[in-house]
Amino acid sequence: MSEISNLVLSLADNKQLLGLRYAEWATRAPSLEADIAAAAMGLDDLGHSRVLYGCLEPLGDDPRGSDRESDPASLCALPYFDEPWTSWGQFVAANAVLDTALTVMIEACVNGSIEVLQHRLRKMLAEERYHFLHGRSWLRSGIEGGPLEEAWLEAIAWFGPPDGDTAKLHESGALSLGPAELLARLEEQLEIKAPKRAVDWKAWDPRRRRTKPGAIDERTFGMLRGLEEKRFAPASAQKQT
Amino acid sequence: MSAGNVKYKRVNGDAVEYEVFARKTRLEALRLVGSVVAPDDDLAAAYARATYDEERWIEMAIVRKDHVIELWEPGEP
Repeated sequence: MSEISNLVLSLADNKQLLGLRYAEWATRAPSLEADIAAAAMGLDDLGHSRVLYGCLEPLGDDPRGSDRESDPASLCALPYFDEPWTSWGQFVAANAVLDTALTVMIEACVNGSIEVLQHRLRKMLAEERYHFLHGRSWLRSGIEGGPLEEAWLEAIAWFGPPDGDTAKLHESGALSLGPAELLARLEEQLEIKAPKRAVDWKAWDPRRRRTKPGAIDERTFGMLRGLEEKRFAPASAQKQT
Repeated sequence: MSAGNVKYKRVNGDAVEYEVFARKTRLEALRLVGSVVAPDDDLAAAYARATYDEERWIEMAIVRKDHVIELWEPGEP
């Protein structure tokens, strides 16, 4: 599997899960405006994931296997998205830190040397500006420390180890930024420093870009495969399937 | 005379009302399309874009309602 295809698949899977988790808060956020923003950002990120999946074929190496229909751990998303968020603080930490981390990587793709990524991902940056403003403003208003530290550590792990695939992609010119520059850019954007806790790179899974085992919850996995839709189908339709 | 601005108590401190203006073509003027309530300019921009994005605007702008200087109001000569 080529390193850039693996990275784009991880971007797509994380955007898809982020979009779904945002959408789950479309009627639970602290204000009507925040509800609407959660729904709009969810739609944006689901749309972005579609564009990213569509880049895999022109990249010439689609790493998606048949196990994606049966094994939730086949998805390359972060542990932060494994379960639905139970607090607004989790939403804000994901919105500010993880969404911006994905955007910083998209910037590195757009400014890198791979033509299909340069062209297809550029529009995302304009849409992501509003996700960033939303996340940073809510972050400045204050949230609990736990989700924030978790989001930072997962973002750093997702950027990859100092000598890993993103470092190589940076050296080759495919990405305009390597892991250290990606983190510096994220800190600069959010105007705060990442926590000093070190990532356990020995536990890092290069395919899923995470250090923890686990996978998304069964209900979300069922929804991604259309199984939740079948649950709501009339009995006559269920007999036919 | 300045337009009165309602103070909204939010999760974190006060928020204020922002008017949202937009236009679809260069030939038309910016027009008022609605309003949002937010505690700062950044969040107001994000809320305005999320709330009023269903049309193909070529331009969108927000203004704090208490920054609008009204010359007269309905019922005044």
